Amino acid sequence: MTTDLNQFPQLDKTKFEQRGIQLEIGVPVTCAVSIGNYIAAGFGDGTIRIFSSGEKHKTLKAHKGVILCMAKDGDNILTGGDDGYFLKISLNGEINEITNFGSRWVDHVAAHNGNLVCSSGKVVYYWDKNKKEPKSLNHDSTIGGLAFDAKGRRLAVSRYGGVTVWKKDYSNKWKSTKLDWKGSHHKVSFSPDGKYLVTSMQENVLRCWRLKDKLDFAMSGYGSKVKSFAFIDDTSYLATSGAIDAICWPFDGEGPMGRKPICLPYIGNKQVTFIEPFPDEKAIFAGLSDGSVFYLKLKMRIIL
Amino acid sequence: MENKHQVPVTVLTGFLGAGKTTLLNRILTEQHGQKYAVIVNEFGEQGIDNDLVVDADEEVFEMNNGCICCTVRGDLIRILSGLMKRADKLDAIIVETTGLADPAPVAQTFFVDQDVANKTKLDAIVTVADAVHLSSQIEDHHEAEEQIAFGDVILLNKIDLVKDENIDVVTKRIRKINPFAKIIKTTKCGAPLKEILNLDAFSLKRILEVEPDFLESDHDHEHDDDVTSLSFVSEKPLDMEKFQNWFGKLLQTKGQDIMRTKGILDFKGENDRYVFQGVHMLMDASPMGKWPDDKERSSRLVFIGRNLETMNLKEGFEACKSE
Repeated sequence: MTTDLNQFPQLDKTKFEQRGIQLEIGVPVTCAVSIGNYIAAGFGDGTIRIFSSGEKHKTLKAHKGVILCMAKDGDNILTGGDDGYFLKISLNGEINEITNFGSRWVDHVAAHNGNLVCSSGKVVYYWDKNKKEPKSLNHDSTIGGLAFDAKGRRLAVSRYGGVTVWKKDYSNKWKSTKLDWKGSHHKVSFSPDGKYLVTSMQENVLRCWRLKDKLDFAMSGYGSKVKSFAFIDDTSYLATSGAIDAICWPFDGEGPMGRKPICLPYIGNKQVTFIEPFPDEKAIFAGLSDGSVFYLKLKMRIIL
Repeated sequence: MENKHQVPVTVLTGFLGAGKTTLLNRILTEQHGQKYAVIVNEFGEQGIDNDLVVDADEEVFEMNNGCICCTVRGDLIRILSGLMKRADKLDAIIVETTGLADPAPVAQTFFVDQDVANKTKLDAIVTVADAVHLSSQIEDHHEAEEQIAFGDVILLNKIDLVKDENIDVVTKRIRKINPFAKIIKTTKCGAPLKEILNLDAFSLKRILEVEPDFLESDHDHEHDDDVTSLSFVSEKPLDMEKFQNWFGKLLQTKGQDIMRTKGILDFKGENDRYVFQGVHMLMDASPMGKWPDDKERSSRLVFIGRNLETMNLKEGFEACKSE
């Protein structure tokens, strides 16, 4: 830590740091979501802490083991754990069990407009908000990530060998389309305009499909695994971790093919490990491997 | 790398019915006060007595790095990353493979995935072999041969069921495939746990400490697809550039057949000893300090694999000697 601090000897506590609170919990933070003025964080000991400005934070014991994943469903928090539980937790701390898979981990959770989804191993379970029993969607390999599109009509499931996109047809039957690319795909996301689908892979690369014609392409050149990415300013840029700069690929117009990304630099040599878009601004928070967080603004120019 | 706390991972392999689960349960009952996570395959039949058992399904996939032998265990990457988020610290992780599994993807996972390598380290591959059936298993199943080839420790189990002279035959068969593994003869896997756990067999430092006998081995095997080993010694220093060119190309083109390599190298003009070890095409190498004053400098390297005699290893190695 000392060498990192020496890089910025002139810096006092920033305004963010002065406003914030710091808690030493001694357990890894595994996931977090923001809901209105609240932030919920999940931990490696199965606890959840719910923070809001001006109030003391609430601590809940939700899972028996690690909280592996988290998503928001309206004003509720969804969590999946290595204890096999898939839970729905309200902001006042009420915990409801949705299901329990025993010794099998709940690896991923997602929600859209009251419809819930989670994955455990090779199976995705989908709960229609009007139904009690889930629908199982089977895959050939373990699921690496889940994502709904902005309208909640399509569900992307990443896996080994590509992505399966599930959609309900007019007779309410699930239909799947496969987007194949060799390798192990992890985090998956639709672009906010629904035109693209992006995955991060085991190798240091992102894979993208343009959905209207299934044209696929790679975004590469990273020094480490791209674990975090987010679309910013609607679909104009895709900001990504995995390099020393936050790499932002242009997705406006014809997309990023043949165009160079913007690199948002800071002074230092640490890898960007996390990206969080700043709402309503062309800006991001970039988390670095040494624990520091930078606020970076996109300038409207393309570096050629 | 050295200062990081990395949880040791022991891989238990062995053909069907050899006694892997017996060994696993012994480890778990004897090591009191230690916190272990056990990763088992979901088709395991016998029960395992531990509070932290994770089911895995041995999903092996190929990396997109242009290397066809570079396969990794995707499930292991996911499970190890999940285990590393736990609040309670683990003393060790034990991975039990299925009886028909090739140990290479498990080992390669630790070379290839940076997150796995940061937080965990491969401690050793422990192979349980059935003294009664090993010889026929090796003849009929290449997996059985691979498990012997990859073992750092081989438990020759069920020796109570075999005549002494037959034990010698089986031991010789093992030695022909893998002359460097430590062989422990057991009944009901009754080996001291300190010879199975925390061996650090994959660390370069350990290769120096153990100084395995790099002997010129004879090769008089019967089938072309047999796994054998070859080793070479040179008292004359090697030319670094020549060695890198030869060895790099060798692993690139023959990496599929070369299962394990280990070596200590003396390069002309260098004060340090160079140590390396590899699994198929992947390699870990580093200078490991000065040569000790009381030791003659020499280069030694060993190969375990198939079709080694077709690779002109002796000629290739000879050509690396400095002028």
